[in-house]
Amino acid sequence: MPVDRSSTAPTVLLVEDEPELADEISVELRRRGYEVQVTDTSEDGLRAARAGDAALLILDRMLHGEDGLSIVAALRREGIKTPVLVISALAAVDERVRGLKAGGDDYLVKPFAMAELAARVEALLRRLDDVRTTTLRIGSLEMDLVERTVRRGGRSIELLPREFKLLEYFARRPDQVVTRAMLLEDVWRYTFVPQTNVVDVHISNLRRKIDAKGEQPLITNIRGVGFMLHADA
Amino acid sequence: MLDLFRSTAFRLAVAFAVATAIATAAVFGLVYLEISTSDVARLRVVLVDEAAKGVTESDDELRRALELRLTRDLRRLDYVALFAADGARVYGNIDKLPNIPVDGKAYFVAEARPSDAVSRAEPALFVARRRADGGVLLLGRSLLEVYAIRGTVLRSLAAGLGPAILLALGIGAFFARRATRRLIVIHETISRIMQGDLEARLPSGAQNDDIDKISRAVNLMLDELARLLDQLKSVGDNIAHDLRTPLAVMRAKLERGLAAEDNHELRAAAEAALDQLDKSMVMATALLRVSAIESELRSSAFQDIDLVKICADLFEFYEPVARAKSIDMTLNAPDRAPMRGDADLMREAISNLIDNAIKFTPSGGLVQLEIAMSAGRPAVRVRDSGRGVPPTERDKIFQRFYRGRRSPSAPGYGLGLSIAKAIANLHNLDLTVEDGAPGARFELSAR
Repeated sequence: MPVDRSSTAPTVLLVEDEPELADEISVELRRRGYEVQVTDTSEDGLRAARAGDAALLILDRMLHGEDGLSIVAALRREGIKTPVLVISALAAVDERVRGLKAGGDDYLVKPFAMAELAARVEALLRRLDDVRTTTLRIGSLEMDLVERTVRRGGRSIELLPREFKLLEYFARRPDQVVTRAMLLEDVWRYTFVPQTNVVDVHISNLRRKIDAKGEQPLITNIRGVGFMLHADA
Repeated sequence: MLDLFRSTAFRLAVAFAVATAIATAAVFGLVYLEISTSDVARLRVVLVDEAAKGVTESDDELRRALELRLTRDLRRLDYVALFAADGARVYGNIDKLPNIPVDGKAYFVAEARPSDAVSRAEPALFVARRRADGGVLLLGRSLLEVYAIRGTVLRSLAAGLGPAILLALGIGAFFARRATRRLIVIHETISRIMQGDLEARLPSGAQNDDIDKISRAVNLMLDELARLLDQLKSVGDNIAHDLRTPLAVMRAKLERGLAAEDNHELRAAAEAALDQLDKSMVMATALLRVSAIESELRSSAFQDIDLVKICADLFEFYEPVARAKSIDMTLNAPDRAPMRGDADLMREAISNLIDNAIKFTPSGGLVQLEIAMSAGRPAVRVRDSGRGVPPTERDKIFQRFYRGRRSPSAPGYGLGLSIAKAIANLHNLDLTVEDGAPGARFELSAR
């Protein structure tokens, strides 16, 4: 999903010691309109992150045998809040928890699809503006987060609690790619990937409830990646 | 030979020989002591008595008695002498008074010398007693005989002890050699096994002694190891097959794509290859997952968890999937089902069971998720109305990467169950499958 960011292309700082993977990631991110700065050691990475030009840090957890998490910990100690996406070959749940505890904002296990990486990057760059919002409005969709009610047009929609949570997740990220893995991690808090397409079933159930006949579908499939919620006209 | 001396059996034999020697020596020592002390004590009493009697007799009587005594003493063991008050010998077979007190008590003299034998010096007991006229009566008895008996005792001890020790050592060496020979065979067999001959087994004869018992235990252990190795090898083969097959497909597709004239075909090939790649990635991830869980000792991170909550979550998660397939999914649970465990892992294990149940149940079927408490311990049952698991396959389906023979096309059948089994083991739970009549009934329950 190439996005026009010509005026304010955010800079992504990539700390990755594997040249081929660094190349692939930077080509992909540049294609998607980001500036990419690559370093391959934790010292350079730390220096560049301190300079403060980067809007996002992508950090390989294992750099020349060192634990990249030390960079995150150092940055957080210094009060630098640049979002960090940790990529790692360590897949265990514990490792993921450790990565997030050290100050990482997201954790992606190798090997990953580039589209997954891009979706995570986008999500991290567009951090939620205000968590305290009580009402979300996307086109004709209106969610009252306090009353837990949903309306589309003038129509009231009954949702189960989990469906509400799912829709809220999309409504907070309009026009943004949301992957199945993100939904599993954030909406269901599952740390494993089910073998069947459970997420798709839940999405289509949700769609059936929020899209009345003739209405423009709010949530669309992004093939091979995930889903996206668009405001209708 | 050096090995023989170092062998346990031989050391035991040596210890046995030493013990025999000590016991024999003790017995002989007792005999020796008995002989010498009792004989000497008896002689003392006799001598003291005779001396006491002698001094009261008149000179003539005494002389006659002494003469008689000497005449009777064929073995020349007696000493008799009568000394005048001035110390001169009046009568007797010893020249002068030995250096002992004249008090009528018996004394030991190491070197007594009778006057008729020049060279003979012998140990003897003497009693000297003063007579009324101031003279001294000396009576003595050679201890040569007693000492001779002592010598005999000692010699027989030496004669008996030597052979006894030798015999003990000999028997020890015999058994040690036998044991050593068996140990050498065992040692050689183990060397062969270490060099890779996993078929070799230790000899275990009919003797049923300690070595045989150990040999049999080691053989059983070897059987088990061989079985595990075999299993590991077939797992390795399966993994190789499961990982290489998608790679082969991928390679073929990419090759065909590159050889194709038009871009469209190349694109289709690349997409198909990517699909295959994802499949093998899932496979590799699952494999790593099983190893990670198996090698993990997370029980330290176990917490109090509620299986009802986990199952309710999973039910909510999977029920729409079942419904989409026109499967009726039900949840039957008590209020609470507490246990110690890792919530994430238990969720994953049960999720895999539900996943499978839905996958293998045809449209219009039934999937039941049930939690039961028995003796305070929870059991989770997942029952489906699919075609079930044939009895011959019930053990195999939990092995890594096993895929039911009749469903080679169903993806990932083996992965989920292997992961669930590993998680069950980590929680000390049993994961079993039974006939659900119809379908399969998987049960996770306390061992």
